[in-house]
Amino acid sequence: MSQQQVSGGRQSLGFGLGLRTTHYEDVIENRPPVDWFEIISENYMVAGGKPLHFLDRIRADYPMVMHGVSLSVGSTAPLDRDYLQRLKTLAGRVQPEWISDHLCWTGVAGKNMHDLLPLPYTEEAIEHVAERVRQVQDCLGRQILLENVSSYVTWRGSQVHEWEFLTAIAEAADCLLLVDVNNIYVSSQNHSFDPLAYLDALPAHRVRQFHLAGHSHNGELIIDTHDHPVPDPVWSLYAEAVSRFGEVATMIERDADIPPLAELLDELEEARRISGQTLEAAA
Amino acid sequence: MSQLNADQQAFQSHLMTGDPEVSASIVGDAKADAATRLEVYYQAYRLRLVEILQNDFTGVHALLGTDAFRDMVLSYIAAHPSEHPSVRWFGRHLAAFLARPPYAEHPELAEMAQFEWAWAHAFDATDEITVGPDAMADVAPEAWAGLRVTAHPSLQRLALNYNVPALFEAATRDADPPALVGEPDALTWILWRRDLIVHWRSLDADEAWALDAAVQGQTFGELCAGLCGWHDPDAVPLRAASLLRTWLEDGLLSGIDT
Repeated sequence: MSQQQVSGGRQSLGFGLGLRTTHYEDVIENRPPVDWFEIISENYMVAGGKPLHFLDRIRADYPMVMHGVSLSVGSTAPLDRDYLQRLKTLAGRVQPEWISDHLCWTGVAGKNMHDLLPLPYTEEAIEHVAERVRQVQDCLGRQILLENVSSYVTWRGSQVHEWEFLTAIAEAADCLLLVDVNNIYVSSQNHSFDPLAYLDALPAHRVRQFHLAGHSHNGELIIDTHDHPVPDPVWSLYAEAVSRFGEVATMIERDADIPPLAELLDELEEARRISGQTLEAAA
Repeated sequence: MSQLNADQQAFQSHLMTGDPEVSASIVGDAKADAATRLEVYYQAYRLRLVEILQNDFTGVHALLGTDAFRDMVLSYIAAHPSEHPSVRWFGRHLAAFLARPPYAEHPELAEMAQFEWAWAHAFDATDEITVGPDAMADVAPEAWAGLRVTAHPSLQRLALNYNVPALFEAATRDADPPALVGEPDALTWILWRRDLIVHWRSLDADEAWALDAAVQGQTFGELCAGLCGWHDPDAVPLRAASLLRTWLEDGLLSGIDT
């Protein structure tokens, strides 16, 4: 099940899916050909019951990675030490291959907007976020993966491009990267930049995971809704990412209008096919 | 205040109240102006939280209908913005919110929210063993008077005047709801989790008192004394033993201690 590929001296976890409650029974009964599952960390920060029961049962059969949405590493509010401790406790239970969260902020002044909010790409923000990533990594005792988010605004004060911002933080904090291919595509459309320039700029040795997802159109803007299959432009950009970063753990991320597991397995097979074809062509 | 902090305060203020100050810090272009771009976040904030509460409070949604539910949640978001990293806790003030005007005119709304919040607690409460009725056979005759019980962590208790459990069940099954019925005297209900499934049932007045007393640490002997308020003293030991057996059969208890 945990078929791993070797690339650039690193082993890739292979091809995974986001674990969703609607698929619990199917996963346990049918042991689908998924190399690993990604869990949303916050969904399992509970005392007991079904969430932890199914987590443990599925973890017994599959490698897992933990993906958070509330670290708020870009916020100017103090790091939530209680949250970090619960993240660490969950990691002790799950023993994930890695832990990731987003390059964003989710609230200030004690509030949580439960959204992945955009940062201004400034020197001040680079220093602030890098220092906080270092603190998180010290607390967890491991490197984390930072994911690029979709965005719909550009701050007037931004001094560098998003890819330069992400790279500068990753280098300063010595953290790893979760490259969300759909988010790069969405932001490239919303902000009229070349997505290949984004991929070209990223430090390949730090890229550990890809996210693939679908999106929706809202007027002139594209919204990162994760409620559709992966569309052709994202598949094309994925092939470009594979050609630059090699065989990297790849995952389909679906959070709304979630289809039967079989449909996601078909999409995952398409990811395998594109990845294999791209690597073969490059060999 | 740093520039980053000022930017985040202004952005959040826009999300929560529509405060336009931040728009001066956002670049507009031919594709979309600053206001249009900020609107994406403004709407997404509300849409996400409405969906979360619609999922967590299926029964309240069924009572109000989609439009009124959305309007209610928008007021709730303004009154109680989330302060927890997990959306699991976003609805924690909803029952109290619905107990205030204008929703207080329909007390069944607050009762439903209270029931659904108790359901959520029963759903993901700490895992613990349950003790079955076989344990009663191990209690020595002289030990019964001092016997105490430990409730399963998932056990929740509430008092309801309306038939919200039946309405909740219909809503979660997407079935036709029964008529709303309110009674002048509240009925005690318990919810608990057994084998990962949340169960609920109502209690007679004597059982409600006895279960409360037992959970609070009173002994079996004290339960018997208290049950004399409802039953003839000769019938009390049988009633008390019967209640204990029922609690053990239901899986309400994680320990009995002599």
